[in-house]
Order: sequence, then structure tokens, then C-alpha cells
Amino acid sequence: MLKTIIKKELLDNVFSYRFPLFSLICVLLIPLGMYVNQVSYAKRLRDYSEQMRLAGEAVSALKIQDVMAGTVAIKGFRPPARLSVFTQGFESTLPRFYEFTQDGFRPGESSGGDESIFSVQGKVDFVFLVQMLLSLIGLLFASDVIAGEKESGTLRAMLSNSLPRDKILIGKIAGGYLALWLPFIIAFLIGIIILIVGSFPFFGGDTPARILSVFLSVSLFMLIYFTIGTMVSSSSAKARTSVVAILLVWASLQLIIPKLSDMVARIVYPVRTNTEVSLEKSLLARSIDTETAKELGRQLDLVFGAAGPKAPEDENSPEQKKWNSVKTRIQQSARERKARQFGAIEETYQQQKRRQQNLAVNLSLISPSAAFARFIADICGTGELERTKYIEAVRAHQNALDNELFSKVDRTVMIRPNGETMLAFHAFPVDLKNLPKFSIASASLQDAFKENWRSLISLAFWLIAPFAVAYVRFIKYDVR
Amino acid sequence: MPDQKPILKAEDLSKRYEDGVLALDHLNLEVRGGEVYCLLGANGAGKTTTINLFLNFIPPTTGTCYINGIDVTRDPLEAKKYVSFVSENVMLYGNFTARQNLDFFAKLGGKANLSKEAYYQVMRRVSLQEKAFEQRVKNFSKGMRQKLGISIAIIKDAPAILLDEPTSGLDPKAAEEFLEILAELKKEGKAILMSTHDIFRAKDIADRVGIMKEGRLVMERTREELQYEDLVKIYIDYMKSEPLTV
Repeated sequence: MLKTIIKKELLDNVFSYRFPLFSLICVLLIPLGMYVNQVSYAKRLRDYSEQMRLAGEAVSALKIQDVMAGTVAIKGFRPPARLSVFTQGFESTLPRFYEFTQDGFRPGESSGGDESIFSVQGKVDFVFLVQMLLSLIGLLFASDVIAGEKESGTLRAMLSNSLPRDKILIGKIAGGYLALWLPFIIAFLIGIIILIVGSFPFFGGDTPARILSVFLSVSLFMLIYFTIGTMVSSSSAKARTSVVAILLVWASLQLIIPKLSDMVARIVYPVRTNTEVSLEKSLLARSIDTETAKELGRQLDLVFGAAGPKAPEDENSPEQKKWNSVKTRIQQSARERKARQFGAIEETYQQQKRRQQNLAVNLSLISPSAAFARFIADICGTGELERTKYIEAVRAHQNALDNELFSKVDRTVMIRPNGETMLAFHAFPVDLKNLPKFSIASASLQDAFKENWRSLISLAFWLIAPFAVAYVRFIKYDVR
Repeated sequence: MPDQKPILKAEDLSKRYEDGVLALDHLNLEVRGGEVYCLLGANGAGKTTTINLFLNFIPPTTGTCYINGIDVTRDPLEAKKYVSFVSENVMLYGNFTARQNLDFFAKLGGKANLSKEAYYQVMRRVSLQEKAFEQRVKNFSKGMRQKLGISIAIIKDAPAILLDEPTSGLDPKAAEEFLEILAELKKEGKAILMSTHDIFRAKDIADRVGIMKEGRLVMERTREELQYEDLVKIYIDYMKSEPLTV
């Protein structure tokens, strides 16, 4: 019996005018979206390879004198995410590289500058199409699943038979969903074929598993929206009322909640901008450096007298030994002070930011669309997880360079009480050919699932709750 | 002669809607196999409510409906195995052909794996044109849809058939053809309960006629009794009479 209803529902949709229209939209837009992003990915990959080559050459040409002069900035590049062909996520907003200096790291430009002028209207990628288009089509397909059949009278005809209502509901959801799913599968497969033809490294690493996860997530997302549509339809007496309600639901879940959650979080927990924080740190660093330079200058005069050290310096003289000890103590103290105060600024900033982001994320997860977008971006390596991994890698690389390179060069600035500025250098041996290489430990697929437990709960809720409501409504549905 | 065992039975059946309207007031009714019972009455008299109660589309306020001896409220799924339903506007899937519609509803009615020829035979029996068998029903006339509706009832082969104003809006020829099919089903022993406004055709086909007013069955006559009485006059007299006190 269930099979009969599923088949009927599927065929009824397939024979309707909207099915070829929807199929056409899917088959045109989904592969096109993938193709455009594949081209963009290939371009970014070429850029990345070229920049890596240039950076390699720059490191090869590096001399310790450059480091002593403080003019060296070593770049660490982030490779473009392979699965950005499905969703751009943070791909175009993340810096392409970071510059590492003695004073810390700073972000380079993002790839957003290369984007088309139409990006101002929102990036169109596979996930965007799914989120905006398939969700709406899923809802509209479901809009008349109950109310429409009531209006046409066929629901009465069905229920005049020995047929349990729960079977009708399940059959209708399954059949209607299949009608939605089949064009999507075809479009998705065409997109994958286009990617493979376009030399996309489909079979590398865990890519097939990730693509399968994308496919299953989209399938789940479509089922969620179809079930929400069924819930609305079973709560409406007329198909037209159902369509109006569905448009409101779509706008709320798709546009209002995700956008509003960020706005609310910004109002509730305002956070300074990154530039403000960097500026504060930079002012603090300058102030500590100046104080340290003055203290060193004062101590220099105390150790060597107003005439200062004689050149060339005698390493074994008692004054020199005393000076080395004093200098090390002052510099160590300055470093500790800087680290402590920088840490406090950064910690406060990160704490405020985390609080704001947590609120925004938790509010946005009310929408299945936001939950889906977050989850799928992490599967594709363009989401929050990737951003975190990137910045972790940057911090680790800065530490490695500090240990292996920057700490080997001792630049001492001294401002003597008479206002004279002195600069002293001392360099330890450094193996410039074997400096640490910048690399990002990509998040595994398992990490993406673990980190997105809230998104997965939201998606599960949006699958179960609308079905439960639709079930309760339909069991009591007045078919007259 | 009709069987003695009632296939359709309403016992003290009442329905009061949430808004307080009493749509059906203590109806008692029986339809036996091989019998056609026509319910006459103005709009809102309770005819369709009676059918809705038999189909368990709405629960009764009091009383019980039985189909083939099964309490409809208590075991609706079992009861519905023994009844077919044809409405005023036969509800069909416009994107399906006549045969596909028949196939779908036959399966719902428990008749799986019927051959294409079996469907064609039923459609021929109700005089549906051959060329329409594989045509989408969205372009069907009302007469064609009613024929297909009765085909669905025939193919289910249930002992009881409920018809809600099935000839309403049909041209005289189509209505006549429709009633001929009903007469055949009656001969096959089906218990037929039909609500209608068509007094003349009710007189022709019915074994018993009941007139409903304001939810009550106010009069009942057998075919024999109607040979000596003018049904039209009786009907109009009841309609003109004072409203009933509820």
C-alpha cells in the first residue's frame, strides 16, 4: 500500500508542469555552479603554486644581515581548499598568506579582490543554490501535498478506502521527496562528471568521502524542507494559504533568522575591531620598546660611563660581562612584560569575540539553513574549523620561526640619557636553508562532524519536529 | 428481493459541529444488499453529513454507523473495506490517465495486480469511450469523470456504495447512463445509499426514499408506496412546512 502511494505521489509530481521546470533549473544551475567554482579553484591553485615558488626563492636568497636589519618578512601561504568547488565559505575572505616577522605575524591580502563585481550580490556556489533554491522548491513542492489534495477532493477519495493516515503521510512525503531528489541526483552527477573532466582531483585522500558527505547532507537538507512544507500544508485548509505560509517560513528560516542572529549578537556583545586591537598592541609594543631602550641606555652609561663602551668590545672585560648580564635581564623583563600584556589584550579580545560568536551561532542554529551551511562548509574545508586551524598553524609557525630564526638575532636599541640612540647587533649561527616550513593541519572529516554537533542536532530537530507536527495535524485533518 | 441483513446501518446517529450546528439528529437508517436508498433534502439537510459519518471523515456526536456489521468509529479501516464512494465531483488525479487513476484506486481498494484489460473492461462497462482510457483525466467532462468514478467503485467490488449527489450537474443522457449502471450494481446485490436532489430519478431507481430536513429523517417511503403517492408533492410539502424545533 505504501509503495502504491509513493509511486502515485512520485508520478503525480513527475507529470506535473513544475517537474520539468525544476529539473531544468537543477541540471543547468548546479553543474554550472560547480564548473565556475572549479575554474576559480584551478586559478587559485596556480596562483598558490607560483607564490610558493617565489617565496621559496626569497627564502633561498635570505641573508642573516636582512634579518638583523629587521626587514625580513617570511610568508606562509594557505593552499586553496579543494572542495571550495562546492562552497566558498571563508575561502575568499581568509588571507592567502601570513607574513612572519620578529614583531609577530600579520595577515596578507585575501583572494576576495579577484572576485567578480557581481559578488556584491552574494556568491553563487553549489551550496548557495541548494540553500536558496532547493529549499524554496522543496517547500513549494510540499505546499499542496495535503492542502492541495484536500482542495481537489482526491484526499477524500483516498481516505474512503481502508488506508491508515500515517501510511498516507509517509507515502506522500517519500514520493514527493523522491520527485525532488531525482533531478538533484542527476544534476549532482553531471556536476561531478564536469569536475572530473576538468581535472578535479576527485580520488585524492578523503575527497570521495567528503563529497559523499556533501551529497548526503544536501539530501537531508532537502528532506527537511520538504517535511517543513508538509507540516505547513497539513496545517492549512487551502493550498493558497499554504503557499503564503511557506513563503513566510522560507524567508524566516533562510534570511531573517541567520542575518538577525549576527545583528543581535553584535548588539548584545559588542566587540572591538581587529584593527583597534592591533593598534593597541602596536602602541603598547612601541611604548615598552622605548622604555626598554631608555633603560638599556641608562644602564649602558652606568656600566661603561658617559664615554660608553670602547670599540672593539672586549668580551672578557668585567664591564662587558656586567653589561651582558644587565642587558639580558632588561630584555628578558621587557619580553615577559610584552608577552603578558599582549596576552591579556588578546585574551580579552578573543573572549569577547567568542562570546559574541557563540551567541550568533547559537541563535543562527535555530535555522536549519544556517546549521546546514556551517556543517557543509566544514566538510568542504572552507568553514570555521578551517579558519581556526589556519590561525593555529600561523601561531605555531611564528613560534617555530621565533625559535629557529628571529631569536638568533639580537637587536638591541638603546637610548642614552643624553638622547643619543645606539643600535647593537649580535647574530648566532642560523641554518637558513632549513627553516621550518609553513603547513596547515587540515581538519579531518571526523573533526567536521565532531565540531558541528550543534548543527547536526539542529538539523535532526528540523527533520523530526515538522514530521511530528505534520503527523499530529494530518491524523486529525478535516478532509471535508 | 433485497437480502435481509443490512449492509449500511445508522443507529441513533447525530452530529453537532463545533460551532453548535446540529447537522444530523438521531438518524436511524438501514440499507440492505440489492437495495437503493435515496436521501432527498435541501442543502444543509444532513445528507452529506450522513455520508461523511459512514466514511468516518467526521466522528459522530452520538450513535453508530455500521458497514457490513462493523462499527465505523471503532474499526474504520476494516469497515472501509466494504464500501465504495462516489462524490458529486469525482476526485481524480488530473495528470494521470483514466487507467492510471483506476489502477491507483483499485490498489487502494485492495485489488492489486489487475491486468490492463481488466481495467478496460470496467471502463467499457460504464460506457467510457475507448479513446479516453489512456487520456489524462484533466480534460475529461464531468460525465466522463463520473463514469470513471463509478468504475472505481465497480472495481473495488465492495458490498456497499455511497454516492453523494452523483448526477448533479450531469446532462440528462449522462445521468440516465449513470443510473443504468447503478441499476446493474443493485442487481448484483450492492447496498446503495445515494444522496440526491433529483426527485424524478430517485423515484425511478430507489427502493426506498428518505426525505431529510434540518438533520432529521422526516419521511420514508418504499417503491411500492410511491406508486400511489406523488413524491414531488410530498417533498415540496415537507420543504414548505414549518421549521422543526431542535
